[in-house]
Amino acid sequence: MKLAIIGGGPSAFYVASRIFQLLPAAKPSSPSLRIHLFDRLWAPHGLVRYGVAPDHPEVKNCTHKFDAAALDPRLRFFGNVNVGDPANPIPHAINLPLSSIFKNYTHILFSTGCTLPTLHPALPPSTYCIPALSLVHWYTQHPTNPPPPPLENVSHVSLIGNGNVSLDVARMLLTNPDVLSKYDVPQHVIDHLSRSNVKHVSIIGRRGPLEAAFTTKELREMINLPEASMIPLDLDSMVPVSKDSLTRQQSRVLQLLAKGSAKPYGTTSKTWSLDFLRSPVGLAPPSATSQAQLKLAHTKVDAKTSRAVPTGETSVFSTDLVTTSLGFRSPPSSLFSSEDLGHLRTISGRLVSSSGHVLQNAYASGWASTGAKGVLASTMIDAYAVADTILTDLMPKDEPVKTTPASPTREQGVADDDVAEIVMNPNPHPEDPPEEIKEALKEGMVTTYSDWKKVDEEEVRRGEVLGKERERMGWEEAREFLTKTKPRT
Amino acid sequence: MCGTSTSKQYDDTEPAQAPMSRHMGIDRPAPGSGIKVNFQDSKGNLLKTVEANEGDDILAIAHEYDIDLEGACEGSVACSTCHVILPPEYYDLLPEPEDDENDMLDMAFGLTDTSRLGCQVKLTKEMDGMDVRLPAATRNMFVDGKKASH
Repeated sequence: MKLAIIGGGPSAFYVASRIFQLLPAAKPSSPSLRIHLFDRLWAPHGLVRYGVAPDHPEVKNCTHKFDAAALDPRLRFFGNVNVGDPANPIPHAINLPLSSIFKNYTHILFSTGCTLPTLHPALPPSTYCIPALSLVHWYTQHPTNPPPPPLENVSHVSLIGNGNVSLDVARMLLTNPDVLSKYDVPQHVIDHLSRSNVKHVSIIGRRGPLEAAFTTKELREMINLPEASMIPLDLDSMVPVSKDSLTRQQSRVLQLLAKGSAKPYGTTSKTWSLDFLRSPVGLAPPSATSQAQLKLAHTKVDAKTSRAVPTGETSVFSTDLVTTSLGFRSPPSSLFSSEDLGHLRTISGRLVSSSGHVLQNAYASGWASTGAKGVLASTMIDAYAVADTILTDLMPKDEPVKTTPASPTREQGVADDDVAEIVMNPNPHPEDPPEEIKEALKEGMVTTYSDWKKVDEEEVRRGEVLGKERERMGWEEAREFLTKTKPRT
Repeated sequence: MCGTSTSKQYDDTEPAQAPMSRHMGIDRPAPGSGIKVNFQDSKGNLLKTVEANEGDDILAIAHEYDIDLEGACEGSVACSTCHVILPPEYYDLLPEPEDDENDMLDMAFGLTDTSRLGCQVKLTKEMDGMDVRLPAATRNMFVDGKKASH
């Protein structure tokens, strides 16, 4: 098997790692195996580098396992390579057509994630309405390079959506930059945050506390913020009287909310609120005399469907910055993507074409396959299951690999017959990447894993000098650094 | 792109070393002298009986003996991948989980009343002979765990 993995995030590395674990190089029965990872970003690890909140450094420990996988001589990484997607927002990435992957590999795995923010129909992006993903990209120095949010002129922030990304952004805005500066936050971000005038962050959700998308850990971090307090909640009006049917997580979230923030409301200069049962219906722009006006429909949770339904009442928030944090989807332009699903169409990790047929030797894993949900642990379990699927298809039937039971359900749009479409090449060059990649490698336009490790070490070294976890490089800086350190050949 | 200055070799530039295990290594006791732990699969079938020393945690022991228990955050209580299920009588020997461990257990799949994170379970002599069951993890969780649409 010569497998091309499109994407170099956690799902891609967990699949590679699992395949190596199940097919050790030293074992004579292991088939010939090459795995090439292509990432449109120059640095690997996807959301672990460009998504995990800076104040959660322990989550990034998973990269040690990715490093271990990359040490296997059967793996190669090619960064700064955009495969197939014409809507690529990374200006310096080189473009490689999918046909080139089909020609040069026996198998393909899409681990492309969900790279676009889900927008709110009533809240189009503007200078005062920014997707949370742009803020995350700003504070992680993502190669899309979005402008910093106008925090100097912002006192009131409205976050739409109450998932963990929303709470990450809230923590970044409500934590003292001196605390953040020891983490992996670029210096220019710290400088910008130091000039912030944010006083209140409102976290708005369509449904109630029982349906909130955040996890207990992230809520607890908000509750324990040293310099910000929460406006107390009237929980009785939002939660049904009977608490028998609550899950463990729901009960624990309710306990936390009832206790309120560690710093009592009124004792801090910065505040935050959880505004449940509110759904945005419009946003009037700011004027010379007034802030932007965010109109919210009041909702209640339908007991049968668990959906938010409007009560007919509305209210208006005066706010300076609206940030939408409503999840992510894969680009609708990408091949095999289903616009309704917001991700690729798959069955048990096998890719399904637009005509509804399974594509032979083509797979998808992670958010590209499941949609944007779950934490790192769920991504890992999914990746291991997809690795098992790939090996089940690869190995002779009398030599079963250990597999995870796959869901037998057929998703809508999957054809009823067993016809498989073939796009991959059964006999490509056994080792080499596509010609375009070989050329771009010579020009220094593609990063390898050893390039990344050099940058990684240098970033940590620069961080040590500044008394922080690391100081990041951008592409231009990384490229220059790599050119300087490269021995003349 | 060859000739890296680092000691490890990536991108098949050199004969590679075996992938290293990052988890803090523990020392195996002399056979017959350690505390016995019986690792079981999700159905309760015995996978392996191993021996470890007082103070070793279940995650480190699993790594030492190649048991399929993941520690994505390497024991820093930032994930739930090392979730294990203990028999009630052994569970009761342990100090109550802290808030941070409970927050992670909230997200563990197949949570039971006697679930713990393996990285937080440190062996004592009283635990000799303890069964440690790994939870079932199937991709079906994406169906089961799917949230109602908003």
